[in-house]
Amino acid sequence: MPTQLLNRRDLLKRTSTGFGYLAFAGLSTVAAGASRKDSPLSPRAPHFQARAKRVIFLCMAGAPSHVDTFDYKPELSSANGKTSSRPGRIPGAKLMGSPWKFQQHGEGGLWISELFPQIAKHADELCVINSMHTDLPAHPEACLMLHTGSSQFIRPSLGAWTLYGLGCETDNLPGFIAIKPTGRNGGTQNYGSAFLPSACQATRIGSEGQPIAQARIGNIVNPRLDNPTQRMQLDLVQAMNRDIIERERVHPGVEGVIESYELAFRMQDKLPGVMYMSRESPVSKELYGLDDPTTADFGRQCLLARRMIESGVRFVEVSHGDWDQHRGMKAGHARNAKAVDRPIAGLLTDLRSRGLLDDTLVVWGGEFGRTPHGQNDDGRDHNNKGFTFWLAGGGVLPGFVYGQTDELGYEAVDNPMHIHDLHATILHILGLDHQRLTYRYAGRDMRLTDISGTVHNSILM
Amino acid sequence: MTTRSTRPIPLILLLLLWAVPARAQTFPAFDPERIFMLGDADLDGRLSLDEYKDFLRSSTRMRNSADGIEPLFRRLDANQDGFLSLGEYRRSFPARRGGDSVISDLEDWIKGGAPDPRTGGISVDNLTTSKTNLAKVRDFWSFRPPVITDPPHVNATNWPRGDIDRFLIAALESRGMSPVADASRQRLLRRVTFDLIGLPPTPEELDAFLTDESPNAFATVVDRLLASPRFGERWARHWLDVARYAESSGKTNFAYPQAWRYRDWTINSFNIDKPYDQFVREQIAGDLLPASDDCQRADQIIATGFLAIGSKAHDAENRGQFVLDVVDEQIEATTRAFLGLTVACARCHDHKMDPISQRDYYALSGIFRSTQTCSGTLAGVFPNFNASPLVELPADAKLPSATPALSTEQRAMMEGRLAALIKDRDSIPPDEGNRDRVRRANSMISTLRLRLLIDRPGNLPRTFAMGVQERDEAINSPLYVRGELDQPGATVPRGLGQLLGEHQPESIMNGSGRHELADWLASPSNPLTARVIVNRVWQHLFGRGLVSTPDNFGAAGATPSHPALLDSLAVDFMNNGWSIKQLIRKIVLSRAYGLDSTHDPHNFESDPDNTLVWRMSKRRLDAEVLRDTLLSVGGQLETTPPVGSAVARVGEGLAFFVRVEGLDTSDHHRSIYLPVIRDQVLESLALFDFADPSLVTGERNSTSGPAQALYFMNGPLVIRQSNALAERIISASGDNTQRVDLVYQLALARAPTIAEKDRAATFLAEFGSRVKHADPTGDAWSAFCQALLASAEFRYLD
Repeated sequence: MPTQLLNRRDLLKRTSTGFGYLAFAGLSTVAAGASRKDSPLSPRAPHFQARAKRVIFLCMAGAPSHVDTFDYKPELSSANGKTSSRPGRIPGAKLMGSPWKFQQHGEGGLWISELFPQIAKHADELCVINSMHTDLPAHPEACLMLHTGSSQFIRPSLGAWTLYGLGCETDNLPGFIAIKPTGRNGGTQNYGSAFLPSACQATRIGSEGQPIAQARIGNIVNPRLDNPTQRMQLDLVQAMNRDIIERERVHPGVEGVIESYELAFRMQDKLPGVMYMSRESPVSKELYGLDDPTTADFGRQCLLARRMIESGVRFVEVSHGDWDQHRGMKAGHARNAKAVDRPIAGLLTDLRSRGLLDDTLVVWGGEFGRTPHGQNDDGRDHNNKGFTFWLAGGGVLPGFVYGQTDELGYEAVDNPMHIHDLHATILHILGLDHQRLTYRYAGRDMRLTDISGTVHNSILM
Repeated sequence: MTTRSTRPIPLILLLLLWAVPARAQTFPAFDPERIFMLGDADLDGRLSLDEYKDFLRSSTRMRNSADGIEPLFRRLDANQDGFLSLGEYRRSFPARRGGDSVISDLEDWIKGGAPDPRTGGISVDNLTTSKTNLAKVRDFWSFRPPVITDPPHVNATNWPRGDIDRFLIAALESRGMSPVADASRQRLLRRVTFDLIGLPPTPEELDAFLTDESPNAFATVVDRLLASPRFGERWARHWLDVARYAESSGKTNFAYPQAWRYRDWTINSFNIDKPYDQFVREQIAGDLLPASDDCQRADQIIATGFLAIGSKAHDAENRGQFVLDVVDEQIEATTRAFLGLTVACARCHDHKMDPISQRDYYALSGIFRSTQTCSGTLAGVFPNFNASPLVELPADAKLPSATPALSTEQRAMMEGRLAALIKDRDSIPPDEGNRDRVRRANSMISTLRLRLLIDRPGNLPRTFAMGVQERDEAINSPLYVRGELDQPGATVPRGLGQLLGEHQPESIMNGSGRHELADWLASPSNPLTARVIVNRVWQHLFGRGLVSTPDNFGAAGATPSHPALLDSLAVDFMNNGWSIKQLIRKIVLSRAYGLDSTHDPHNFESDPDNTLVWRMSKRRLDAEVLRDTLLSVGGQLETTPPVGSAVARVGEGLAFFVRVEGLDTSDHHRSIYLPVIRDQVLESLALFDFADPSLVTGERNSTSGPAQALYFMNGPLVIRQSNALAERIISASGDNTQRVDLVYQLALARAPTIAEKDRAATFLAEFGSRVKHADPTGDAWSAFCQALLASAEFRYLD
């Protein structure tokens, strides 16, 4: 038995009368020190030197079109109106050049469409991967694939694996937060822990369709007791719990309960502070577009993500939908792009100026891309064989374009990067070997990348 | 590597570019052994013999295919052993360095039949059946029939109350350990009440037991609990975890508004103590079993819901793939639930550790492919490309419907609306731009049609169930190489294959073979079925199975801690008519079940996980039990079972996506009756480790975290029930001491200690002086009650 536990028990005995808040605050630190070793969230060293410590995943749900955003296809524009030789499920479909103009940006000369004028100013921070591919062109399957590496089985999400591999940097907040995640296409599975310890799952803030300004974490506020009064009540609870430890001597379950109350009490204190953004400077609010109703909601989410990251949260997923424009794409993509462009640019600027971008990995992308041929005159269908992701910060090559699709944008042909590869590479950036990050379940050592995944070293600094 | 970067290539990149030729030199010319680090028990990710066979099968085809060598490399790529992918090969072995010759070497090797480098050449033909280790693997403990052994001699002859105790204490004694003392009667009553009915004992029940001096006092309690209708609600929930019960499809999440009938069938089966072999048989082939009347017929059809309620991708556009995935899910659920085996991995390759070949998998697959799965959902509703009918239940069974009958006016109104909708839809010009409008109209039309179809004017509504039926024509499935639909191999006769033995008929001539499968699963000669269920029951009573991996009795699972005890219980169970209630009774009446749960340093050092049962393990109450108990102590639990479920009440014709937020979950029925929507498990359940309803779950997690703490500190249900509990004790007595007594009995099923009474008095006084409020008494008592509900003691079972 670890001696620390015995010390703690002695301490419990000594403090068993007049057990006030201060005494407990001191004690709970000891308690945390003693048992965090076994806690699924205690910080752990990576397998090797990490390039980034945390992740912000900007999930573009519904699948933005790569050929209208970051994958410049002049040949597609030239072939505009011709019958597609690969029409998929739309017989006779016609190729459709992008309605948006592309320009080269930054020293790296990255081609970015006019949909993202603000992000384009950060071209030299971006590492654009134009050769993504995934297994299936259906939203639920591809969304689960993107988040969990499996469209067929219930598997832990990327964020859960990250937390499982690295633990949590803060005692006051959860390690994995999903801001306004989709409730469809697999719902909670997309940020769940599956067979991993449930502490690895995301804490959800807000939900799809609800303005983030109204979002609250479940049960974070007591409707009737002020803080000191609730502390008094909690002291009674903890005194009862402490009785059990004294009587039983060893009871990891009750020790876990004692810890969970202290963390919850701190979260109650800390989390609304992180979520309360009124004290952000006007400059900062403007940076994220909080002053404009079209960008305010996603801007708030990005600002919240930065505040979480700054407070030690390991993995934050921010979602924006719906990019699924089978029709009305000109308006739909323009609206979506406008909503996220300034907030994302603001996030990159802010992370850079705070020195956070060096060890934070920002990931942008959706579950697949869209077809080079048109649909319903002004839309595109699903395309899983080739699409775009971009990464920024965290040791990826800046101002860099990796891989490419064929001349029309149908299929990744150069350095194709499967979702498994992206996962392997992200874990690698975090200092985790995707082949060693395993969990034994159903008789197998499970991993995020199943039996696949190649780290694409070429995109790393 | 593509870069359009115009700025100087970073130094690191230059180094990488240099590194490629440098690495190339370290690889010799092609050497098959580098790829096939073969070995049978090989689990490190390299190609096993089975994978090699697959590889040979596909390479045979590949030899003649236009794709050439590339797919082969892609396959090898999947193994990630540090072996090169084709791209890497090409990069690493540029032509001038002889890379092409390496590739042509490989091509030559494949053309030569790709001989196994270990043996110097096993041909494909010799590898088509997997007989190699079968005899050896079948000798594994769980594949041998269970046998009764005489209980061992024990030193502490006064301790055992029966054979269970003899087996347990003998194992303890052999390690120089002895069990802790017996639990107090109070602890024992709380334990057995929660274990058997999932609710706390009432103060009256506590009092009755503590004052009953007869030697049969405890047996009386156990029999009372086994006879309670609450028993079925508690134990059915354990089974529903295993049966991955839910009321929606998952993913696109179409509603399954008939799933609740299977839930109720399960509850009833436990309450009437349906023999477990019959319980198994009905779930696999209830539709094929004889029935004495329509009620029994309906009941048995509903039982086959087990096969139909699994998660499904209704939006899958490839119908063939959808069918294979459904069959795969059925095979996985059936084998894990009843046999504790994972057979589904044999979809792609022979099982690496258990005697289950890919051929066996496709033999089973034929059975399920000859079976129609009736999950319902509506075809006209986008994006449902895989709707199926439901099974209509015999009208004479007079089963309740969650949908009330339509009045004449309602019916007329709906008919009018339907006609209008059809007219409106038919007037939409049929061009691409109107696709969504047509889809929406079709969804409404389908839903209304179904609603009208269910209704029978002047009669009870028609009733339907999820379940399975025989297909008109039975088929055999081909063996799909690597499980891939586009790589069908030889046809395998449907049947039980060589699963666990060679004594079954190899193939089935008539029908799907589900009847034969059901009989075999439920047969006393099946070595696994009884052991697996006995272990599940044991686990729910002791917190840990005799086999600690309840869903895996194969070679990758745990070995039993007390093999002879498990066998004896299994044989005894079968001899006692497969009675679950008798099995539970026998176990809880053992001395071991009545042990205290206190710590013992000596025992703890030798056996920290309590594998040998030197005490009762401490357990956290399940999610449903916590909610039910909160409602119960507040006096607000509604014990009359509801008809249907929130999903069904939205409408039997409900065919759209279902969102749990849209359902009414505010009623106070037991938690087993709450809606279970895949991917959207209710917070009060999900927070406390409810089983993922898409997975076969024999054992739930038991976690604690801040979200649980916040639930008890601030959650609306906890606060409501604290208020209710406070009102209850305030109205019960005007005396504070009596109130404290009562609240301890209600919430914790025990009396408070003197120190606790003092602490209560101090808290109430301090709280009263701090909170200036209109109702200081009520608020203080409510805060006090909440503290008790929030305590770890409330949540844990000693």
